[in-house]
Amino acid sequence: MSCWYNNHAPCGDIAVSTRIRLARNINGFPFPARMSDEQRLEVNRKIKQVIESENFAPLSLKYIDMKDVPVNERFSMLERHIASREFVLNSDNKAIVLSEDETVSIMIGEEDHIRIQVILPGFQLEKAYEIADEIDNLLCKSLDIAFDDTLGFITECPTNLGTGLRASVMFHLPVSESRGEILALTKSVNKVGFTIRGMYGEGSDAAGSLYQISNQITLGISEKNAVDNLRVISEQLISKERQLQKNLNLIKTEDLCMRALGTLKYARILSSAELIKLIGRVKLGINTGVIKDDINPIKILIEGQPYMLMKTYGNMTEDERDISRAEMVRNALG
Amino acid sequence: MLCEKCGKNTATTHIHSVVNGVAREMHLCAECAANEGIGTPDSGFNSMLASMFGDALSLKSQLNEVRCKCCGSTFSDISKSGKAGCPECYKTFYNEFLPYIKRVHGSVKHIGKSIGENQVKTEKNIDTIDALKEKLARLVSEEKFEEAASVRDKIREMEAQK
Repeated sequence: MSCWYNNHAPCGDIAVSTRIRLARNINGFPFPARMSDEQRLEVNRKIKQVIESENFAPLSLKYIDMKDVPVNERFSMLERHIASREFVLNSDNKAIVLSEDETVSIMIGEEDHIRIQVILPGFQLEKAYEIADEIDNLLCKSLDIAFDDTLGFITECPTNLGTGLRASVMFHLPVSESRGEILALTKSVNKVGFTIRGMYGEGSDAAGSLYQISNQITLGISEKNAVDNLRVISEQLISKERQLQKNLNLIKTEDLCMRALGTLKYARILSSAELIKLIGRVKLGINTGVIKDDINPIKILIEGQPYMLMKTYGNMTEDERDISRAEMVRNALG
Repeated sequence: MLCEKCGKNTATTHIHSVVNGVAREMHLCAECAANEGIGTPDSGFNSMLASMFGDALSLKSQLNEVRCKCCGSTFSDISKSGKAGCPECYKTFYNEFLPYIKRVHGSVKHIGKSIGENQVKTEKNIDTIDALKEKLARLVSEEKFEEAASVRDKIREMEAQK
């Protein structure tokens, strides 16, 4: 199956993925945290009916009851970034709607009744918003969506009121990071209502130099302005990281990236943390022209995650996974 | 750095916010931050959200114990979790919610896409004063001063016409 990370990624040297999320709820029902089992089934049924109606036919979306999804597959959805941790942790009464390439995923029964998500490779904010908006228009036509003229779209958490929009871009920023510029970046994006966090690792440690920037404010700012602001910040980040990568010492970069590629090509045991660290260096090698092989580092990174491996190879202990991961990476690198 | 509210204690809480499109920083000591209804960073996300509702609100609702007709939540339930029980809660406890929403977003007026009578309307005209102020703040932060000056003039013009 073709996934979002298999497709062409505009500005893919620095931008890994673009995500748009819209939070929506249906009038007359408590939010999911307070719903009875019957109410959950009723909400799921209503949404299923709409998704399978004629209006939605051109989008070829598939409604899936999570109780029919094996546990390994549920957690692999989190690793492919098509569902949230909160959603997969306790998902028996929930449902998800997916497009064939999984660029569209609609979580039903997460924090809000409906969470529309569009994820595209690289930097494609306008396109991602356009797709999410189209789906939202169709849902709003068929469902009694909770909306208030003053507070906008109604959400369980007041921090999402208004547009219910979370726009985010994930970046690979190895050189900005090694020059110690992330803290300054954090301060400046905070000032304009955005937040930055590491994708992997805990606290301030962002393994693999992967960072995600997203908007915080949803009330009093239009969708267009929120997306425009993120676009401007992203363009600055991309151009700065590109400039820094261009000015790197060639032989040192070549050494760092080739060592990483060598380890990945020949390792027999590979932990998840080591993969994240080394694949980032391979990506830097590709960007700087040091590595010329046809490699999709993001695909290797995602497919090397624990549940993605177990989805393919079956249940394994951590030690067994490290061996399978090394094998998968060797195969991918030829 | 000293707390900008009391000017006595060291500022330990640093808040970045955007109010009406204008970026603002606040540096407060723990005591003043608590008085402003802002939780300490280690108080956990939910309790931080909850603490932002402020004491007066939960006290008031504890006395009256008004319940949402749809889901049965009281405002003290909501202020404990920091989250509403159902869409109706925002109507039932509208006045109680407002100060908290203003604190989070710096605004209590939705701008953007809207729906009414099942019709979706996308706000095409973004040239409202608030939207322009937002644009102005962005241009200033990007150091595009020439463009910022023309936006500032437009805001003045629109405000004069009010």
